[in-house]
Amino acid sequence: MVKKQAPPPKRGNPKAFYLVLAAVAVIGAYFLYMQMRGGSSAASATTIDPNVPLPKAEGYLLGNADAPVQVVEYADFECPVCAYFATITEPDIRKRLVETGQISLRYMHYHIPTHPNTWQASMAAACANEQGKFWEMHDAIYNAQDRWAGTATRKPKGVLKDLAGQVALNVSQWETCFDTQKYQPQLLASQQDAEKRQVRGTPTFIIGSKMIDHNMSYDQFKAYVDTAMASAKPAAPNDSAAKKGT
Amino acid sequence: MSKRQLVALLALLGLLIAIYLTLYKTGAIAELNCTVGSCETVQTSRWATFLGLPVAAWGIVFYVALLALALSGVQGSLAESRAVSVALVAVTGWGVVFSAWLTYLELFVIHAICQWCVVSAILVTIAFVVAWLDLRDHRPAETALSA
Repeated sequence: MVKKQAPPPKRGNPKAFYLVLAAVAVIGAYFLYMQMRGGSSAASATTIDPNVPLPKAEGYLLGNADAPVQVVEYADFECPVCAYFATITEPDIRKRLVETGQISLRYMHYHIPTHPNTWQASMAAACANEQGKFWEMHDAIYNAQDRWAGTATRKPKGVLKDLAGQVALNVSQWETCFDTQKYQPQLLASQQDAEKRQVRGTPTFIIGSKMIDHNMSYDQFKAYVDTAMASAKPAAPNDSAAKKGT
Repeated sequence: MSKRQLVALLALLGLLIAIYLTLYKTGAIAELNCTVGSCETVQTSRWATFLGLPVAAWGIVFYVALLALALSGVQGSLAESRAVSVALVAVTGWGVVFSAWLTYLELFVIHAICQWCVVSAILVTIAFVVAWLDLRDHRPAETALSA
């Protein structure tokens, strides 16, 4: 009997292989880094013209209108990262920065075109604002995003109506407002404002003279606030008479 | 480039995609670079989580294991090991099955396609084919009657 050996498999050039592997790893890591846009680095923010006035009686204001630093957030209710920010990071920001009077936070709508239910969610919040409960509805909408978003349903009104009840709105009044799309001009105005400021994604924040177009941890957010605080002028660029409202 | 080296390279590419999708899922990346399909729809669906972890995070575990296995299979004494070939076929085969299930969910349940998931499925399928060819290269010595 004779043993018939299979030909030995090709071994490949180890040096060239590891070079290719390293090159792919480095290029991949660079791509991921660029996608994350620097994380804690302030260098990832865009410098904008501070002379362009911030929105006046637009959006929804939380905190003291005369706070030394006035933060604007452009967000989309159907954006998962916005929900992450609203539910994980924002509670800390409210407690430690808004309630202590260091900042005010203004929420502006920017609707991502691929989100089918985001306009209805914004309308639901605008109609809650009519009854003085924008922020309660804001929290409820983000917390229940998986129930009303386009991935869950094409008819979000039922869930949104439930949420209106949960935050103790006059549901009948809310529903009339929602069905007649009473605040559509305000939502459009907010959208146009975002486009004018070249907002391209959500969440986007304006803190002092910086526009930051990505999600942030509390510490990163605070670092931007501290920088803005250090350069804050006695008179804030925003309209000091701004009130909660669309 | 040997077949195992090619599997290692494919595993590294898959690992990068899995990290990318996991970073999105955890909020570190705001938006997915998605020119084809609806990545966000898929990634925010309830099917994007498996056993309490994002599916993409399981992808990291899978591709790290595959990369480690393929790299070990190009080292010294293991370079001729048939056991490594069998393990590569088993791991990539599992990857093909899992990817097929995910693709089924995308097409028929979620009704949206995530381009990165498709690329990952293609990578693991190629890796499976290459691992299969590698196994054929490492078949045991045959015995034959001499004439």
